[in-house]
Amino acid sequence: MTRRANTEYLWVLPVLIPVFLFTLYPVAHALWKSLHRSQVLLPGEPFVGLANYASLLNDSTIWASLRNTLGFTLVAAPITVVVGLGVAYLLLANYPGRIYVRSVVLLPWALPGAITAVIWIWVFHPSWGLLNHGLRLAGIIDRNLQWLTQPDLARFAVAVAHIWAQFPFAAVLMLAALSSIDSTLYSAAAIDGANAWQRFRFVTLPQISTMIAVLTVYETLVAVTSYDVTYAMTGGGPGSATTLLAFQIWKQSFSMLNFGNGAALAFLTALLSLIFIALILWAIPAELFRTDDE
Amino acid sequence: MLGRSLLLFGAFLVFLFSASPVILSFIGSIVPDQAIFSYPPNWFGYGVTLDNYRYIFTGELPTVYQAEGANRSMISDAARQVPRALFNSMIVSGSVALINLLLGGPAAYAYARMRFRGRRATFIGLIMAPLVPSAALIVPYYLLVQQFGLLGTKLSMILIHSIMTLPFTTLILSVFFGRIPDELEDAALVDGCTPLQSFLRIFVPLVRPSLLATGLFAFMLSYSEFLFAHALGGSSDSRLLPVVMAALARNTDVSWGLLNASIFIAVVPSLLLVIVVWRFVVEGLLAGSVKG
Repeated sequence: MTRRANTEYLWVLPVLIPVFLFTLYPVAHALWKSLHRSQVLLPGEPFVGLANYASLLNDSTIWASLRNTLGFTLVAAPITVVVGLGVAYLLLANYPGRIYVRSVVLLPWALPGAITAVIWIWVFHPSWGLLNHGLRLAGIIDRNLQWLTQPDLARFAVAVAHIWAQFPFAAVLMLAALSSIDSTLYSAAAIDGANAWQRFRFVTLPQISTMIAVLTVYETLVAVTSYDVTYAMTGGGPGSATTLLAFQIWKQSFSMLNFGNGAALAFLTALLSLIFIALILWAIPAELFRTDDE
Repeated sequence: MLGRSLLLFGAFLVFLFSASPVILSFIGSIVPDQAIFSYPPNWFGYGVTLDNYRYIFTGELPTVYQAEGANRSMISDAARQVPRALFNSMIVSGSVALINLLLGGPAAYAYARMRFRGRRATFIGLIMAPLVPSAALIVPYYLLVQQFGLLGTKLSMILIHSIMTLPFTTLILSVFFGRIPDELEDAALVDGCTPLQSFLRIFVPLVRPSLLATGLFAFMLSYSEFLFAHALGGSSDSRLLPVVMAALARNTDVSWGLLNASIFIAVVPSLLLVIVVWRFVVEGLLAGSVKG
């Protein structure tokens, strides 16, 4: 047994070595950079302790993007999970044409973020966007709304585009969770006279609670580190209304060429992700997990 | 039945919500710009044309813009980069898919069918690796790639995208390999097959559709990745499609017809992939559970 164990590592090491190496080394490297002054325009890389972190915390634009990221995440992640659950129900049910719905539903998720952005610019464009057009036809507005150039409307627009790009993934995983529920549980609940809401609350919800937790954590991570849709849709504007932390990391590193600050901000962003994950896992009642494990 | 019609209506909404932007971009790509901007909307009143596609692939100006006084600045050279970028993306994402199968396949098999020390711990580590925000990796990757002189090359993108996708493909494939009944493997071992032989002769043929689809899944992740492609991308020769699309999106001068044609060209591979991935990966993952 021990003799054969050696050959088994040959199967997994070609994956493990590059993945671990290229995950751990960059993290260690970023940590080192974040504690040193590393700017292209200045010579040398002296140790500066937490100076990079301090300079970030004194920068009001960083605080603005932190607020943007928090708001964006708190809106986008839960809505994505809820929409995903709703869509999963629609994919699970039986009706003619289901195969077509199932086939295209993944599309928003498969599209490159830049394309998602372009498509939604067309919807939200102030002059000839479809949304203004529809709202005018419906008589809801009589002047075009400046969706992409008014801070709050722009925030709304990028959140919609982000949710659109993310909901299929949540829907597919929810679908997997829903379809693994033993159907006799529903029969039993129906015999006990449970109504639709009770069946959802006491049969479905406990069975999918782990998936809900996993998805909420995942979607939170995605939202906190979101970058491409917002970048291509608004370029972080108007002003810095839609500038998220991930975009700031890019800006600090590649626009201001301050790698030390970029790395420090990356760590702060990772820290924010961890705080979110801890909060989510803490907020989910432990009993939900217990029912699921049985 | 009220519930039934609500269900159908909901399904129709989801279909529209997912597909309509793509349908719209196709319409926008084959009608002249003045049709898109017409008010009240008269999208098909100005005829239908493939000029935008011809310009993107051959550089021949659309007839509308050859007219005197037409706004030539609406023609953007960025749109001309789309075919080249599509080609680059195909090479990179295709290689990533291949690497994923060649390395991820055996690893997934080992995790699903073999027992060895550290199996559980390394598997969990593998799944946790993608949780590190890519924004935190970008600077170290940039400097690493620069050090090896690979900045702006397809090779660097292939390597980075492979590392990014391998955890996912290993996870998915190990589900497929794990589902195959033990008896088949036992029979192979009794017949004197080595693990490699039973992997190649029994397991690979059995999961071939899932292998294909998982490869396409890796392709899809690589095809839509933007952060690394943007930060490490080089000259227009090696630029990937998402980078060019983002440039087009930020360019306010570009004609809407050209923009829509570019979108549609970029969407076609995704559309084809989605159908295959759904058919084999999702239905495959669902197949083990109770039928919906």
